[in-house]
Amino acid sequence: MKLMNKVFAGLVATGVGLATTAAFAGDIRVGITMRMVSENGQAYGQMVMDEIKAINDAGGINGNMIKATLMNDECKSDKGVANANKLIFQENIHLLIGSTCSSVSLPIVDVTAKAGVPQMIPHSTNAKITQKGSEWVFRIPVSGRYYGGVNAKYVGENIGSKIAYICAADAASVGDCANMEKQMRARFGVDPAYRADVQEKEVDFRSHMQKIKSMNVDGILVAALAETMARALIQSYEAGIGEDVRRIGSSSASNAPVPKIAGDAAKGVFFTAAYAAADNRPIAKLFNEMTRKRYGIHAPDHDFSQAYDLVRIMEIALNNADLQLEQWSLKQDRTAIRDAIASVEGYEGLASGPISFCAAPTPQCRDGNRTAVLIGYTKGGENFETEVLARVTMEPDFGLE
Amino acid sequence: MGFDFNSLLAFIIFGVTIGVVYGIVALGISLIYSGLDIVHFAHGEMYMFGAFFGLVLAHNVGVPYPVALIGAMILTAILGMLVERVFYRRLTRAGGGYTVAGMGMIICGFGMSVALVNAAYFFFGAEAEPFRANLDYIPRLTFPGDINVPESYVLTAIISVLLMAGLHYFLRHTKTGLAVRAVAHNKDIAYLMGINVPLMISLIFGLACGLAAAAGVLIGPMQSVQVEMGYLMLMKAFAAAVVGGFGSLPGAILGGIMVGIFENLGAAYISASHKDIYAFLLLILVLMFRPSGLFGVEAKVKA
Amino acid sequence: MLEIKGVHAGYGNLKILRGIDMQVPSGGIVTLLGGNGTGKSTLLKAISGLIPLMEGEIIFDGVSVSKLKPHERMRLGLVQVTQAKEAYPAMTVEENLVLGAYTRKDREATKADLQKVYDFFPVLRERRKQLSGTLSGGEVQMLVIGRGLMASPKMLMLDEPSAALAPKVVLEIFANINRIAKSGVTVLVVEQNVRMALILAQYGYIIRDGVIMMKGEAKKLISDPAVKESFLGGSVSDTTKALRN
Ligand SMILES: Nc1ncnc2c1ncn2[C@@H]1O[C@H](COP(=O)(O)OP(=O)(O)OP(=O)(O)O)[C@@H](O)[C@H]1O
Ligand SMILES: [Mg+2]
Repeated sequence: MKLMNKVFAGLVATGVGLATTAAFAGDIRVGITMRMVSENGQAYGQMVMDEIKAINDAGGINGNMIKATLMNDECKSDKGVANANKLIFQENIHLLIGSTCSSVSLPIVDVTAKAGVPQMIPHSTNAKITQKGSEWVFRIPVSGRYYGGVNAKYVGENIGSKIAYICAADAASVGDCANMEKQMRARFGVDPAYRADVQEKEVDFRSHMQKIKSMNVDGILVAALAETMARALIQSYEAGIGEDVRRIGSSSASNAPVPKIAGDAAKGVFFTAAYAAADNRPIAKLFNEMTRKRYGIHAPDHDFSQAYDLVRIMEIALNNADLQLEQWSLKQDRTAIRDAIASVEGYEGLASGPISFCAAPTPQCRDGNRTAVLIGYTKGGENFETEVLARVTMEPDFGLE
Repeated sequence: MGFDFNSLLAFIIFGVTIGVVYGIVALGISLIYSGLDIVHFAHGEMYMFGAFFGLVLAHNVGVPYPVALIGAMILTAILGMLVERVFYRRLTRAGGGYTVAGMGMIICGFGMSVALVNAAYFFFGAEAEPFRANLDYIPRLTFPGDINVPESYVLTAIISVLLMAGLHYFLRHTKTGLAVRAVAHNKDIAYLMGINVPLMISLIFGLACGLAAAAGVLIGPMQSVQVEMGYLMLMKAFAAAVVGGFGSLPGAILGGIMVGIFENLGAAYISASHKDIYAFLLLILVLMFRPSGLFGVEAKVKA
Repeated sequence: MLEIKGVHAGYGNLKILRGIDMQVPSGGIVTLLGGNGTGKSTLLKAISGLIPLMEGEIIFDGVSVSKLKPHERMRLGLVQVTQAKEAYPAMTVEENLVLGAYTRKDREATKADLQKVYDFFPVLRERRKQLSGTLSGGEVQMLVIGRGLMASPKMLMLDEPSAALAPKVVLEIFANINRIAKSGVTVLVVEQNVRMALILAQYGYIIRDGVIMMKGEAKKLISDPAVKESFLGGSVSDTTKALRN
């Protein structure tokens, strides 16, 4: 009996697989490019595909199936742009989802703007992404300009104003550093006590830490991608900088490799994000449970929550869009999807605050999420733990000139 | 801000501690070059595999760090010998260095590097792995000016120096070492001396890869372990070997230390955002004014 | 001691030796003569195993060594000193000599042999701590012969020990080769200095284009008109004429 069930389930799955892979004119074609180099990356790529499959299994969008193509850009801009081009010009997609790295999303914005394809960004914080004036781009995560404000406010009020900056050269970290610096100056009138611009994948921070140690700072901002940040955190302790000097993480501090690699050095590090696994809303608890069961994720970070929110927002928009889905209607359908996303308002999902878009091609309209949550690690390592320190919603204009 | 002598000292000390590690990798590259006339482009991957072997031994098998270090050296040496035996031997037999086969060897090295990286992705995964070593028994050195040198760096420096001394003793004062040097200079004549040349070639490869593994296990606790770590190390070690004089063993070490100091000073006083450039800047400067490197011997003439 | 039967050998597909037969009897000196590029060094390489045989067989001391690796042949006592006079320039004189005894396990005898080599070539004793790269041409030749002796060979093959050396030094080296042979080592010496070689050796082979053209007792060869014609340079007037052309 059980065996028969399995066989039957297998047949159904194959049938669904065939249905989703065959490119019927009536399909809604969605292209996805993401950084899928780590286990987490693989998992949230898989989650997006699974959620889309669930939509199809439940009857699709007004009877139309979503045909999704998932590609890996390894967080490399050349790969990301190549993926985008392939998806847009060969697969003729209606909608692009990507990428999860600012340095990749930024150049893709130009590609989608030129081709006229709506682009939904699951995770990239660099403020410039929405400042290019593209009417095709929608950012689900919180922009770096809000993060900078939240970080600076918290740091200035709770930690002190003598802050050392370590800024790696990747797009997200450069943006995070600049925002923090700007906000610290605007709110508290202070410049960095020390600032080191290091390489994206710097391995040796010892000289900087040595200098920082001799300066008696209140805190250190480490703005870098996860692995680089973890190294810097470890080396800050090795250099003998005590726990009383707070370590502030940039946006990538939310990535699981940070506490995993940094271990004890992650404890006390805090950062702003769009989602906290320590969130105790029922929806968050369910989500944590789902990612743990399906993908074995210990505590999903906002890469997961944002990817999930993105699929939900996409589902809403596609349902509202008036789609022809014929060969001749590609351009028209793309525009319809764009306008449908732009009219999403007050979506409440996993993100710490509501997400809204509007029609103008401005950061105010296209940075959909303005609520950041401040999270601190209370324990590092494989089974890290976090706490929510604060939750702040910013004005739409915040951080713009 | 004025000139801060203490931080200058710190930069130099840290430069030296990382430089000796470049040095031991460069030592291997130099050893293989002087022994076989081939530039081993897959050496960075030996360093990476060494780090992973050390990690697996220390974390999964649970042996103490020093044992993991030695174990990783042995495993990587075996890996290196296998790679040489199976893939390189045919090409080296046809002559290294300046011959057409030498060109093939270079390409083969690149190919091997790619193959090993992919194998490592398969076995170890793409994620960076933390390498936690319990080093409480190593003293924390304090230099004047409150420059605290963490234990792992002290350990790195000590072990690197020991390895170099060991290699030096082996090459200068043992009969097998003499044979290795003979093979390095001229394989035909080494044959005529009754030296088992193929065995010595394996030995050279094993030694060189073992040294790279030591560097990997030493760097692991500082920088975490990751499949892509080999490439940058290869570049630095390469610069070290050229700066010191390709094929010269003391040159490799001093070249490594110079690269380490130079890049730390460059990062501190010029700009830290292009740190990896300084190694090559030094390399270009040295090549401009002393093409054979600081300790380079003249290109050897083959019989 | 050494028997070569129908040996064909060369480099890659290029065949240089085309059917060489040769015998070197135990004790005494045999010389192999021939012009540049006739295959003398190639034959020595084939004997010592540096290049593989295409055809034929080499029997040393009663065993076929055709399939053995160079270091294995060397361990049987078949020792070659190469033409290029390669010492290891970055090693001291003494390290070079010790290397010659690499395969030997008898420490005491090795030590004694080292002294014997120093007695043969006193200049090497004087320079034993010097890097061999700093030696003169004649000294290097002595060093490589000494290094060959350190292996305690049954048979020593020398490739043009007189090349590029001053007559006085050549004389000294040949005198030493004679002493080596007297001490019981069979010597096969390749030479272009035909007159000296034929005076030194008991038996001679002449090779041309990879085949043995002539062979015989040295005493007979030296007075053979054909040998005189092609190797001993004819008369003074012939040489003068050739130069003027
Ligand atoms: N490694 C090699 N590869 C290809 N051909 C070679 C090689 N060595 C020698 N030869 C060729 O083989 C031929 C014989 O060379 P060999 O060295 O045996 O001459 P030789 O009789 O020793 O001459 P010489 O008196 O000049 O030393 C020459 O034509 C030479 O060009
Ligand atoms: Mg010759």
